Amino acid sequence: MANRIVEVGYGNVNRVKIGGNQSLAFIGGPCAIESRDHAFMMADEVQKICDKLNIPWIYKSCYDKDCRSAPDSYHGLGVDDGLRILADIRDAFGVPVVSDFSDPAWANATGEVCDFVQVPAYLCRQTSILKAAAKTGRPVHLKKGQFMSPWNMKNSVRKLEAAGCHQILLADRGTFFGYNMLVNDFTCFPIMARTGYPVCFDATHSIQLPTSMGNISGGQREFIPHLVRAAAACGINALFMEVHNDPDNAMSDANTVLNLKYLEHVLGQAKATHELRLEMLDKFGEDNVHPEQ
Amino acid sequence: MSTQNNKKMLVSDVMLGVDRVPVIKEKTILKEALEEMGRTRLGIVCIVNDNNQLLGILTDGDIRRKLLKVQKPFSAFFVDDALDHSIRSPVVVSPGDMLRHAIELMEQKQIWDLPVIENDTLVGLLHLHPAVQALLEG
Repeated sequence: MANRIVEVGYGNVNRVKIGGNQSLAFIGGPCAIESRDHAFMMADEVQKICDKLNIPWIYKSCYDKDCRSAPDSYHGLGVDDGLRILADIRDAFGVPVVSDFSDPAWANATGEVCDFVQVPAYLCRQTSILKAAAKTGRPVHLKKGQFMSPWNMKNSVRKLEAAGCHQILLADRGTFFGYNMLVNDFTCFPIMARTGYPVCFDATHSIQLPTSMGNISGGQREFIPHLVRAAAACGINALFMEVHNDPDNAMSDANTVLNLKYLEHVLGQAKATHELRLEMLDKFGEDNVHPEQ
Repeated sequence: MSTQNNKKMLVSDVMLGVDRVPVIKEKTILKEALEEMGRTRLGIVCIVNDNNQLLGILTDGDIRRKLLKVQKPFSAFFVDDALDHSIRSPVVVSPGDMLRHAIELMEQKQIWDLPVIENDTLVGLLHLHPAVQALLEG
């Protein structure tokens, strides 16, 4: 089972330790950086909630959304402007930041600013992306592709390790269930944890209905609390959710982001479930009911 | 059948040298371990670390028993580390052990292969067939 601790943060920001018996970490923010003012407002609001709940967190927002469904969908502020805003958020709030990158050429710049670099699910087995992520020297947030089995993620882990990266967080964001539909198989958490790395649940992408609305994706965010409680009970080490103060007008993933006003409701339950699981681990020990596996 | 010569035979006289022993590294996945076992046709593979210390062995019989136990899809089974399904503390012998004693050990344990360890490293493999043949010819 997972036994490595991934430590996110460099310089003057808080250090977030993910894995083992550490507190549940939260990775969240708006899907895309929409503007400097909006990014700062969101950081301020999420920080208040995480401080109130005493949850270690990492600010997530992307500078380039390269997997949008339609050619005219919002693509992002771009590498230079987006990373400048993330750097300023680090400085202003003392919070580590994460963004994904979709082109190996953007990896160095991303790693120079971000405490954590994210590999998009669609690209999770691309050797060039994985090598570039490892080369940044930052911990890597590796999302399981919707088309991947959890056991085959080990191949991507081995690619990162071969390139020198041994700080990896593995995330589930759902698995294709036919067309335009995802399903969560929560056996993926213990399976991916057998790589030795901590695991994360991406709740807001798990309820996505990929490109179900013709040229954009839909989503069923009413299920976020149910899935989050189940994932926390299953043994995740981190929870990922995209949040927005005005989902209907979000420039990216409007149908899946969690409304900011519900963040405390969901995060509070995630933390409580995680703590209950740790108590049960203390009381009953590891779930080793079929050692022959 | 027994002679003075074969009574004095040592494991080192008939063991397969390390160059002929199927060996894999600790992070080799099961699918590659099976390929190695098939290539060398001994029904066993030895798993070692970078210092050539033996970490475990995996035999045809281990795989057969596992197949009935694990129940997971082949695609998941194949990508497991071979080490996870191996025997971690196998019976081993030293090069200087008497061959007859080693074969008696095989009989007691009902096994066909004994890794040969010297100075904490794998130096060979005693396989039943050449061992018996050497005794018969001794």
